[in-house]
Amino acid sequence: MKKISQLATKHPWLILSAILIVTVYFTVQMMNNSRLETDLDEYMPQTHPAFMYSDSAEAIFNIKDGILIALENKNGIYNTNTLRKVKELTKALQDMKEIERGDVNSLYEAENIVGTDGALDVTPFYDEVPDTPEALEKLRNNVRSNEIVYGRIVSNDETVTILTAEIEDDVFSIDFYNKLLDTAKDFEDEENAIYIAGKPIVEGTLVFLAPKDMQQMVPIVVLVIIIVLFIALRSIKTTLLTLLGVVLSIIWAFGLMAAVGVPIYSVATILPVMLIAMGVAYAIHLFNHLKIFLTRNPEATRAEALRNMVRVMGRPVVISATTTAVGFMSLLTSEVYPIKYFGLFTAFGVVVALALSLLMLPAALMLMGIPKNMLSTGAKERNHPLAVGLTKWVLSHQKGVVIGSVIVILLSGWGIQKVWINSSFIDKFNKDSDIVLTDQLINEKFGGTTILNVVLNSSDLDAFKQPDILRLADKMQVEVDAELEEVGNTFSLTHFLKRMNQVLHSDSAEYYTIPDSQDLNAQYLLLYEMSGDPDNLWKQVDYDFSRANLTFQLKGDDTKTIKAVLDRIDSYKDDFEELGVTIRYAGSGYKAMVFTQLILDGQIQSLALSLLIIIVILAITYREISVGLIASVPILITTVVSFGVMGFLNVPLSTTTALLASIAMGVGIDYAVHFIERYRDYRKIHTDKTQAAIATMNHTGRAIMFNAIIVISGFLVMLFSVFPPNRELGALISLNMFTSFVGTVTIMLVLINRKKKFKD
Amino acid sequence: MLQSLKIKSYLCALLLLATAAGKTVSAQEPSALKIIENVYNRDEGESRIGKIRMTLINNRDNKRIREIQQYVKDYGDMDKIIMFFITPADVRNTSFLSWSYDDESKVDNQWIYLPALKKVKRISSDSKKDYFMGSDFTYDDMGDRHPNADNHKLLRTETMNDEECYVIESIPKERGYMYSKKVTWVIKDKWIELKKTFYDEDGELLKNLTSLEYSLIKGYWFVTHLEMHNVQKNHRTDMQFIELELDAGVDDNLFTERMMSLGL
Repeated sequence: MKKISQLATKHPWLILSAILIVTVYFTVQMMNNSRLETDLDEYMPQTHPAFMYSDSAEAIFNIKDGILIALENKNGIYNTNTLRKVKELTKALQDMKEIERGDVNSLYEAENIVGTDGALDVTPFYDEVPDTPEALEKLRNNVRSNEIVYGRIVSNDETVTILTAEIEDDVFSIDFYNKLLDTAKDFEDEENAIYIAGKPIVEGTLVFLAPKDMQQMVPIVVLVIIIVLFIALRSIKTTLLTLLGVVLSIIWAFGLMAAVGVPIYSVATILPVMLIAMGVAYAIHLFNHLKIFLTRNPEATRAEALRNMVRVMGRPVVISATTTAVGFMSLLTSEVYPIKYFGLFTAFGVVVALALSLLMLPAALMLMGIPKNMLSTGAKERNHPLAVGLTKWVLSHQKGVVIGSVIVILLSGWGIQKVWINSSFIDKFNKDSDIVLTDQLINEKFGGTTILNVVLNSSDLDAFKQPDILRLADKMQVEVDAELEEVGNTFSLTHFLKRMNQVLHSDSAEYYTIPDSQDLNAQYLLLYEMSGDPDNLWKQVDYDFSRANLTFQLKGDDTKTIKAVLDRIDSYKDDFEELGVTIRYAGSGYKAMVFTQLILDGQIQSLALSLLIIIVILAITYREISVGLIASVPILITTVVSFGVMGFLNVPLSTTTALLASIAMGVGIDYAVHFIERYRDYRKIHTDKTQAAIATMNHTGRAIMFNAIIVISGFLVMLFSVFPPNRELGALISLNMFTSFVGTVTIMLVLINRKKKFKD
Repeated sequence: MLQSLKIKSYLCALLLLATAAGKTVSAQEPSALKIIENVYNRDEGESRIGKIRMTLINNRDNKRIREIQQYVKDYGDMDKIIMFFITPADVRNTSFLSWSYDDESKVDNQWIYLPALKKVKRISSDSKKDYFMGSDFTYDDMGDRHPNADNHKLLRTETMNDEECYVIESIPKERGYMYSKKVTWVIKDKWIELKKTFYDEDGELLKNLTSLEYSLIKGYWFVTHLEMHNVQKNHRTDMQFIELELDAGVDDNLFTERMMSLGL
């Protein structure tokens, strides 16, 4: 530490130019090579069994996410104008180069299987747009009598019709979305309104929206922090230096990411947040000490003061930063790459923030001079009344503090039980946003925007021609659809067979059932293959009829809804097993749910792991297990309170909110280490424990309070974000900073004060 | 794929230029329309009996094999065809009868018999664009499309598989037809389509048809083995005619609803 302190004061130019060069390098890297990852499949671990199965099922059945375009005419869709729009919009979508012609479905594209006097007819619902009342009425009746279309492509109240365009996973871009909006909105007039929804739109927009909102919010957060920093430090120099350190560590972290070719995943947007919280803390501790040192040693030279700052504060800053970094490295155990990268690059950023605060700050101050307000005014150092009052109060209410802490932990524990996991994408949007409103419209008028694929597997060829298997599949669909409100619709091979059976029996409704004989099923399917579009068939069943894909349309994409449906479907497991059929799941909704679960499991694991690592590192550093344990108290309290509050306020655990625990950890360590470090030093000076505590409170307590106030006021700005997850983020970070501060100066003070002596 | 095809045809053109001056399109060649008409009107005898073995292969290399017994008779202004499924077992004796008219204004008649249902049903669908028996062939692809429906252009002549071929480009006259363009390699004097490429409505290559085997049977040229490859879906149909008998003297009574239900 001595060498470092000398390096900064002796060769300030060298250090600053080195920092400049590296910064320029990383800036160039960032400008040229940064890439936002928008394909959500890239986020998922490709080798995980659930994903591998889902991917293979998606390939077999050509399962793709669909963009939904709803055309609404409040006076009903059966008029020439609206139907012409459906036809033209279908063609316009087919002409877009991002969309395959055959992947567009609409009332214009759909085929109708009808039985008319002894003949079987597979025809489009219309080709020429109907323009007579009779033709319109005929179309209406055709739709009404076809369960495959009625309620699926045309709403039951006949005011909305849906067009779907399935796209590949990597097709979505903001440009494409805008082009799609332009194309579709062209068809709007006074009578006909257009809405666009569907998983690709929701996910795609989200991937862009989160970083974009962060880009807008971070400068405001930084601005507020500048103001509050200035009020606290009362010096432009130190304010700007603090900020510069934070900004550079962010640039270096993202620059390294770009240099090694790692794309920016949406979780990486939390990285700047983390570095702001940590970077500000490091600088404040240093400046706070510098001021105190100068008050005590008015005669000290600039170089002496700066050297002392680095020498004394270096140790706690290094301990705190390396512990934090190691803690973040524990995220490397996660199965999810974005999380691994997040851990790795945040750890790097923290180390950079540490290096900059120990090298850049003293070097810059060496050249620019120490701000005047830090220089001794000649006034004698005295403890701030707040520090004295707080310390005395805490130490005279030790029992109260302990009981209070226990109550807070117990309450939080109760709250934690209410925490629920949510993988929903829709829930991340504002309730009054277009995307949410469109989603609601479609959920209300149709089966739902979320697709769950239930894949039934048999080892028998032609299993899905067997009446008993088909009947059970049909029974399951009918029952689940009827029982669960969240299930709006189901679709599968059975619908084709039932429809064919009815049509070939003079369209009589009693034959809307699965036929009794395997041969008849096989013959219907052959007939369908010959007269309809066989591709429709291969989306429901595989080539040798040993696997079938049942599509369930759900009215929500949140974990609760999907879980409820999965549980209900799983209850048919035994019945299917008797027939040699197993149930598996596939599709993006299911993958998102498994993915969220996987992230959370990983987070909780790595959180536990990092907590253990921290205790061990601190115990080794202070050569006492008890100190390691005491130092982990603020982290524990912060984490527990954070999750508890989430439970009470109904904030779901998502991939974003779960990462906040890491921030709680980083901040908690910082506060604890500095406090303990200073307290140990003061215990050597003061024989009276209370005096040592007061001095520590006055010294470190002040720094951590400033840090908490500064970061909290900065992040409270995020409450005004237009993006709900970022609002939650701002609120929870502020809460974490506050809890860490309070935990450190109350319960941890009480615990550390009970220790008789410290090892050297 | 498209790229390499382009390069190939470009190389072919270069080779042709360099080697055979006489092979460029000259005035003595028949018109493009005439060539296509020769193909359309190629005599395959007044009747035939045989089996079709159809192998359908999807993009995952899964195969499905279908065997169909087929009887065909040419009545001059109309063709009558009756087909019975032999395999797979669960569709055995499913039969299909079709009376198709040369006169395009007349709608073809088609019937299907499902043995499990014991009923004959008339099918009335837009059959020309339908896929034949779930294969990659539409009825049009199998020779039903009248030469007058397209505008034809003779691009060049070239040698392919040791056969002298006319290369004809055909563009549909009507708008919105399923193919925007077809290019056909017609073997000189045999009037067999050796190869044919189909382009979709966006002008992208959709399917490749290849005649793998053809022979002279009772004095008629007949393609006995062909493959259609849908390159966009990577789905293919291999079609083989076996136990083929031309001019077989098929009984007229075979092409009736009653015969459909009797089965093989």
